[in-house]
Amino acid sequence: MPPPLLLRSLSAAVLTDPAGDLSLPRECRGAVEEWGGVYAQLIRLTGRWRIFLWDGEHQSRLSDGFVSGRQVGDRWRTEHRIGRLAVHQEIAPTDRPSGAIRRLRFALSEGPPVSLVVHSSFRPYLLPTLVEGVRPVSFRAETSSAGLDVRQRGFGLAVRSSIGPSHLYLDRGSWLGGHRSGPLERVGADYELRLTAGLPVDLRLAIAGGLERDLARSADDIAALLADPEPRLASAEAAEARWLAGTPTMRFPDAPELERAYEAARASLRRLYSAPGDSMTGLVAGYPWYSAIWCRDLAWMLPAVLWLGDFDWAAQSLATVFRFQSRSSIPLLGGEPGELPMQISPGPIFFYGTSDTTLYFPGIVEQWVRHTGDTGATLPWRPVLAAVVAWGLARTDLATGLLRNGGEAEAISAATGAISRIRYGIDSPDTTIWDSTDRRDHAIDVQVLWWSALRSALELHAIDDDPTVRARLPGVVARLAETIRTAYDWPEERYLADSLRAAVPVRKLRPNALRAVSAGLVSPERARALARRVAEEDLSTPWGVRTLSTKDPTYRPDAYHDGQVWPVATAWAADAAFAAGDGELGAEFLGRIAARFAAESGQANECYRGDRAEAFDSCFLLGLSVGPFVSLLFERLWGLRPDARARCLDVRPCFPAGWRSAALDGVRLGPGRVSLRWAAPVVTVGWSGPGDLTVRVGGRVSPLAPGASVAVSLDGGSRAG
Amino acid sequence: MRSASIGRMLSVARQGLQLGIEYGPHSVEALLWIAETVEESVYRVGSLRGDGQGIRFTLGNPPLRSGAFSAVRLLWNGVPVDPAAVQLCPGGSASWRTAASLSPGDPIELHTGEPIEVAAAVGLAPVGASVDLRLELECPAIPPLVWIEFRDTVRRG
Repeated sequence: MPPPLLLRSLSAAVLTDPAGDLSLPRECRGAVEEWGGVYAQLIRLTGRWRIFLWDGEHQSRLSDGFVSGRQVGDRWRTEHRIGRLAVHQEIAPTDRPSGAIRRLRFALSEGPPVSLVVHSSFRPYLLPTLVEGVRPVSFRAETSSAGLDVRQRGFGLAVRSSIGPSHLYLDRGSWLGGHRSGPLERVGADYELRLTAGLPVDLRLAIAGGLERDLARSADDIAALLADPEPRLASAEAAEARWLAGTPTMRFPDAPELERAYEAARASLRRLYSAPGDSMTGLVAGYPWYSAIWCRDLAWMLPAVLWLGDFDWAAQSLATVFRFQSRSSIPLLGGEPGELPMQISPGPIFFYGTSDTTLYFPGIVEQWVRHTGDTGATLPWRPVLAAVVAWGLARTDLATGLLRNGGEAEAISAATGAISRIRYGIDSPDTTIWDSTDRRDHAIDVQVLWWSALRSALELHAIDDDPTVRARLPGVVARLAETIRTAYDWPEERYLADSLRAAVPVRKLRPNALRAVSAGLVSPERARALARRVAEEDLSTPWGVRTLSTKDPTYRPDAYHDGQVWPVATAWAADAAFAAGDGELGAEFLGRIAARFAAESGQANECYRGDRAEAFDSCFLLGLSVGPFVSLLFERLWGLRPDARARCLDVRPCFPAGWRSAALDGVRLGPGRVSLRWAAPVVTVGWSGPGDLTVRVGGRVSPLAPGASVAVSLDGGSRAG
Repeated sequence: MRSASIGRMLSVARQGLQLGIEYGPHSVEALLWIAETVEESVYRVGSLRGDGQGIRFTLGNPPLRSGAFSAVRLLWNGVPVDPAAVQLCPGGSASWRTAASLSPGDPIELHTGEPIEVAAAVGLAPVGASVDLRLELECPAIPPLVWIEFRDTVRRG
């Protein structure tokens, strides 16, 4: 299959292959599906959108005459030649309106004039991407003086062109216009052009839409886009350049592949940024089929967004998630009081029903405060975090501290039962991060997450308004830590069990247990042993870490969460190795992730087969695959821990023994920026100001005035600058 | 039984009202768009037909998940139908496959937006009878079972 091309803006995306027609066949759940088309406001507007050319004698597909293509930012420019006809095309996504524009220039090189018919044809979809596997069966098509609109309930798209169509088609039949409702497989239009040698003719086609109520307000924007798309496209490109210029730069002379991987991951993270409308801000989980805001995935990406210095985007994303915190019990949506949503999409459309999503966010808020120093901004979030704690306590055994996971999806199914004569369901008993497999009752990574959430909530004083709960929490935290240390022990495997069920360890060997190592919940000696255990070949491959050991009888190399390799699991292994003090192993795991980025031209697949480095059932770009990687470069390789409230930065680099130097510039900390240089064994830290910064490196504490730097040898000794 | 149904309907109404109050009327509206779209897009209401041999019905889309399916089970009024007696014909394909022929190594591909004809040799299906059907599908790539249940009236086939 051809490599995927993702062209995106903050509210829209175009998925295509390189040949110039918006088509993208891609393996999904074991079968090839068509994912090409225009996406806007997290709604799939169209399926494949193709161009055909008829010169009176021959019909050709635009893609058949493909000569070359190149990507310029988020524009895809292609050149085509069909006989005497040369076609230059540019495809780009747009915001305001949310959609895509195709600019085509037709030129005849020589000979007599030609009457050319350009036929544009697409398959309407009009359903949010968070609804998997379904295409609507009924649409309403309507023409007006402005052009052609297609609607499906509250979703709509507009088709506009710089030259009016000479014919319209619905499915294979010619259509005079007006309005028609019912099944619709294809919408087509002919545009008649007269071509003379030496006189190119331009045709611009736009498809825009999303929520119908937003489309209705977009008429002027669509007209302006068609008249001259360049100002909007140039403005978007300038914004991308400003964003990139505001992010840190990293240099690893001893590992240029890791440096390239950072740049690729940073770019990929930016491509997931989403402001789809309805006052929502966030990042989509991935492309193509996870292009909605999944709050679990968002939680794994927001630390990286903070490290890249985009404090505002992180804050707006948190505010978006918190806006949809469940305030009451809503069984239809799987929501319980205090729960944070699983998915969000403009409508607004939102669903709950996961065991872990809610628990990430106290830690994200704490990290936001450490990077920004702005405790005041979090005051409105304290009630949100208090409700998160209450949600967790409602499913916690206070004697052990263990939080119960499982049954969330079953609750939705039961709630929707018998209110409709048609019911659907997915028999998913459990909804941890590996949500296709049963990890009840107390998955270890969920317990670590709960422990971290409680500690963050206490640190942020989120529970201070409830002294009774506030007094109880430290005990819960302590008991939970002790339970994690003792109840999951699996001495035969020198590892930790994946879960507890009826107080009995569930002996499945998964990388998830490493989260206990990263959190510092096990002794240093144990940490090293656990990190090394995952490096063994039943879990570890040259392309990453498996979700389940090959020794497990239920292992299958093509099972989504029971055998496939996930880069996020590889990131966990790296994190645990660094936490255990094994920088060599940590860098090795980072290198495996970097190798995948390089092999995929900078994109980052979701998952791979467990028996070979082949993407399977995989989004070609997933935030889980890039966010944790970026964070690890800052938090573990460079060993940075900021505390902007105290104007303090800890620096504990953990570079491989063979490295001699590294550089990091432009790390945002509170109101200023930090730069670092490492020339073994000396770390030099510079601070821009304003105000002073306290730097802790190599056991030494150094105050830095604005514009000053300090050089500290990790072998002892320091020098101020 | 009736009061239980009324109770469930009232609960749904209460939840809808609550959503509207807490998140605005657009939230209820948008939820209805999704629910109605899915409801009308998967099982084609009224497509259930019967003759002396068995029944046949049409799905407009795979239920909730496209992909390659290694096992399909049909239950007729709660009773499993012999997989050898269940056949599927995905849109775009001219060939029927029995559920018994499916396996992880030889799955059936069901694609988004493509209708699927399902037929089952269950014997005489009385026209006018109201029947409960449940179709279960297993996709090896993602294990949890997907299923659809519906009640419809058998029409003359």
